[in-house]
Amino acid sequence: MKLNLKEITLSIVLGIIILTLPLIIKSPYQMHLIIMLCINIVLGLSFAMLFSTGLITIGAAAFWAIGAYGSALLVMNLGLSFWLALPLASIITGIIALVLGSIIVRAPGVAFVVQTMVINMIVGQALGQIEFLGGWGGILGIPRPNPIGSIKFVSKTHYYYLILFLLLLTVAVSYALYSSRTGRAWRSIRLNPRLAQTLGINLFRYRLLAFIIASMSAGLVGSFYAHYFGTIEPGTFSVFKSIYIQIYSILGGLNFYLIGPIIGALIMTLVPEFLRVGKEIEPILTGGILIMLVIFLPGGILSLPERTRSFTAGLLSRREREESLH
Amino acid sequence: MALLEVRNLTKHFGGLAAISELDLDIFDSEILGVIGPNGAGKSTFFNIVSGFYPPTRGRVTFEGRDIIGLRAHQIAQLGIGRSFQSSTLFMDLTVFNNVFIGFHMNYKEAAWMSFLHTPSALREERKTKQRVMEILEFMGLAELKDQVAHNLPHGHQRILGVCIALATQPKLLLLDEPLTGMHPEETSTMLHLIKRIQNSGVTIVLVEHNMEAVMRLCERIIVLNHGKKIAEGTPQGIKDNRDVIEAYLGTEEESETLVA
Repeated sequence: MKLNLKEITLSIVLGIIILTLPLIIKSPYQMHLIIMLCINIVLGLSFAMLFSTGLITIGAAAFWAIGAYGSALLVMNLGLSFWLALPLASIITGIIALVLGSIIVRAPGVAFVVQTMVINMIVGQALGQIEFLGGWGGILGIPRPNPIGSIKFVSKTHYYYLILFLLLLTVAVSYALYSSRTGRAWRSIRLNPRLAQTLGINLFRYRLLAFIIASMSAGLVGSFYAHYFGTIEPGTFSVFKSIYIQIYSILGGLNFYLIGPIIGALIMTLVPEFLRVGKEIEPILTGGILIMLVIFLPGGILSLPERTRSFTAGLLSRREREESLH
Repeated sequence: MALLEVRNLTKHFGGLAAISELDLDIFDSEILGVIGPNGAGKSTFFNIVSGFYPPTRGRVTFEGRDIIGLRAHQIAQLGIGRSFQSSTLFMDLTVFNNVFIGFHMNYKEAAWMSFLHTPSALREERKTKQRVMEILEFMGLAELKDQVAHNLPHGHQRILGVCIALATQPKLLLLDEPLTGMHPEETSTMLHLIKRIQNSGVTIVLVEHNMEAVMRLCERIIVLNHGKKIAEGTPQGIKDNRDVIEAYLGTEEESETLVA
């Protein structure tokens, strides 16, 4: 990756802002918003991996839930430390994704979408119906992460740095995968599955791999969410949330697997907040945004510069053609 | 022993027999032409050999190994490459990256290696880039390497399709109508390239409509009609074969009515 001076400066400034954000923002509510934003970005990035193989999911929240509930139960029932439950929750989510994925990943297109949605609904029902899992009321009083030295996880700042670490980890892993043989295979499957197969690429195995990694990452932030928020309830992990997570990666841009979900999550989390619309109207608003996007900007927001360029280029060439006619 | 042996191959789509009881051999280092009128079963034959359709009956062996039941990627891994009838490419990617992805099987790397940019990962990347350029130079697309595939003219897209298949380093290359939609100049370039690929040691099977081109290029030709093999032999033998003339032109009475 070659960076010019402008990009390096921009990255440094952005890095400093991100690292010193708790010093700039004093309101705990805004800090909470930013932490939730980071969770959404991680979820978006994770399932963008699956999207990069051409699969659309409406079941991401189920795996987020498995991480959250798994971690809460490990800590509260088995007395494990949060720092052990965090990776364990991720591994458990990964194993469940392996089992479910082996069954559903073979299903083409729409069938896969529906199956992930059904999984999401079943997980939601199970969490609500099974008393051991807290029922519809959810699990209350999930303990904070165990203190490390003087960091006691009482202020939002501590949580912010923890989620920032998880976010950077996800970005690093995603970047590594996308720039590797694996990432190229994923992209080739989305661009042309038939051709990809004739190159010796095992569609099933690569899609399953993406499904497992995405789910593990969702499980990881699930664990964080449970111990940050202190309570979890089935309603949070609804199909609606899963649709949002998928929108994060589509809204930002189809061919921008890394920056796309970040932009997408940013818009989808902050815009309704700034507009201060009620929770009832929010889905209508976001639905509207999505429909407009699909119609006018099918390549996502990040395809905008490219679109403007080709549009002006089109105008220019038309003028040249007209001039040459005279 | 033949490189690819097909015995009693039959494929039904519903009640229609696209291929019935087909026997054929493909020998090492030859160029075999498969011709026939529309709907003769040529593409179905390719799709079975490359693992996209399971046959209804029959046996296909490659280097003595039964390949029926293997999936498309496994067949590719054994060394059977193919190009597609329409321009099946990674349209959004550059010419270079299209071929780069083609090297998937021959690219030795673990994900963590590229992450850490280990010397061996960098070496592998450099080596593969060099091999991509070798193929592009061999096929005459080197100057277009940074063009996005969908901006290429049709003829170049077809050549790129063959480049991608070559990146898998096949022993047997199946070319599905590589000359369709090409003007005479592009056609002769393509024929020349196919000959070069054969000379580099790759066995080639060519399905094609363009009779004249097939006659010029292939040493041996098989003619299919209604899913059956109706003739097999040298270009001259095929030209004079009565069954073939009938298949293409209809019987004499029919062709007379057509002329009238």
